[in-house]
Amino acid sequence: MKILNVYRSVPDDTTKKLVEIVGRDRDVENFDLHVDSPDYEALVDKIFEADQTICWW
Amino acid sequence: MEYNKVCLMYRNKGCVVDGIRSALGLAVENMYAYGCVMDEVEMDKFNELQAESLEMLRDMEGDVFATKASNCEINDLEPITIEELGEKLRDMTHIIPYGII
Amino acid sequence: MSKSLGIFVTNPDQFKHVMGITKAAKAKGSNVKVFFTWDATHNAKKEPDFPELCKIADDVSICVDSYKNMGYDIEDIPEGLEPSKMATQAQHGIIIEDYDCYLSL
Repeated sequence: MKILNVYRSVPDDTTKKLVEIVGRDRDVENFDLHVDSPDYEALVDKIFEADQTICWW
Repeated sequence: MEYNKVCLMYRNKGCVVDGIRSALGLAVENMYAYGCVMDEVEMDKFNELQAESLEMLRDMEGDVFATKASNCEINDLEPITIEELGEKLRDMTHIIPYGII
Repeated sequence: MSKSLGIFVTNPDQFKHVMGITKAAKAKGSNVKVFFTWDATHNAKKEPDFPELCKIADDVSICVDSYKNMGYDIEDIPEGLEPSKMATQAQHGIIIEDYDCYLSL
C-alpha cells in the first residue's frame, strides 16, 4: 500500500507519531504544501500514484 | 462489497461539532464513520441535538473518541490514546485531519 | 485516462492550494469535484477567485447548513455557484464513493 502524506504545516509531535504508525511497513511518500510555491503538478502526480493520500494539518 | 471506513480528527474546538456532523453524514451514506477529538481541546457539553447525533452515529456502528479524559466524561466519548488512534487509522480507507489546529 | 479527484475543504486558509491543485489536475485531464464545509464556506464569499474555481472544476458545491452557520443568507448564492450546488454533506459522500482519488484540505 502506497501512502502519500501531505503537510499543510510543519508537523508537530502528535502528527509525527500518527504518520509513523500509519506508515509502518508501508510505502510512504511525503509532500510539503507549506512552502512558498508548491509544485502542484508534481503533487497531483503523487496523488494519482498513491493508494491513499492524507493531508495533515 | 467493501465499505469505506473514514476517520475525521479534530484539534480545534470550533471544528468538533461540525466535524461530528460530517462523520454522521458519511455514516448515513453507508460508511463506517469515526471522529476523534484530540489534544487539549475543552469541549462544551453536547446539547440534546448533538447528543442525539452521537447516538445515531453509534447506531450506525460509528463512534467518536477523545484523547482527553474530561471530554470523555462530559460527553460520553470513548477514551483513546494517540498510539491507539494511530493503529485504528491503519484500518481506515480515508483519514481526514479536519479543519485548523 | 486521467484519474478523477475529489477535494473536501474544511480549512478556510487553503484556497490557493485548492486552486493550484484543481488547475494542475484539470491540465492532466482529470475530472475534479470540490466540496466546501464549515468555515471553509467563507471561501465562496471572500475569495475573489472562487467564481474562477467554479469555471475550472467540473463540480463545485458548498454545505448550505455551514454557510448559514457562518452568518450568510442562503438566498445569497455565491458568484459562480449554481443554486443547486448549495448542498448537503452527501456531496462529501459522493467524493469518497465515486472519485478515484481523495484529498482533504
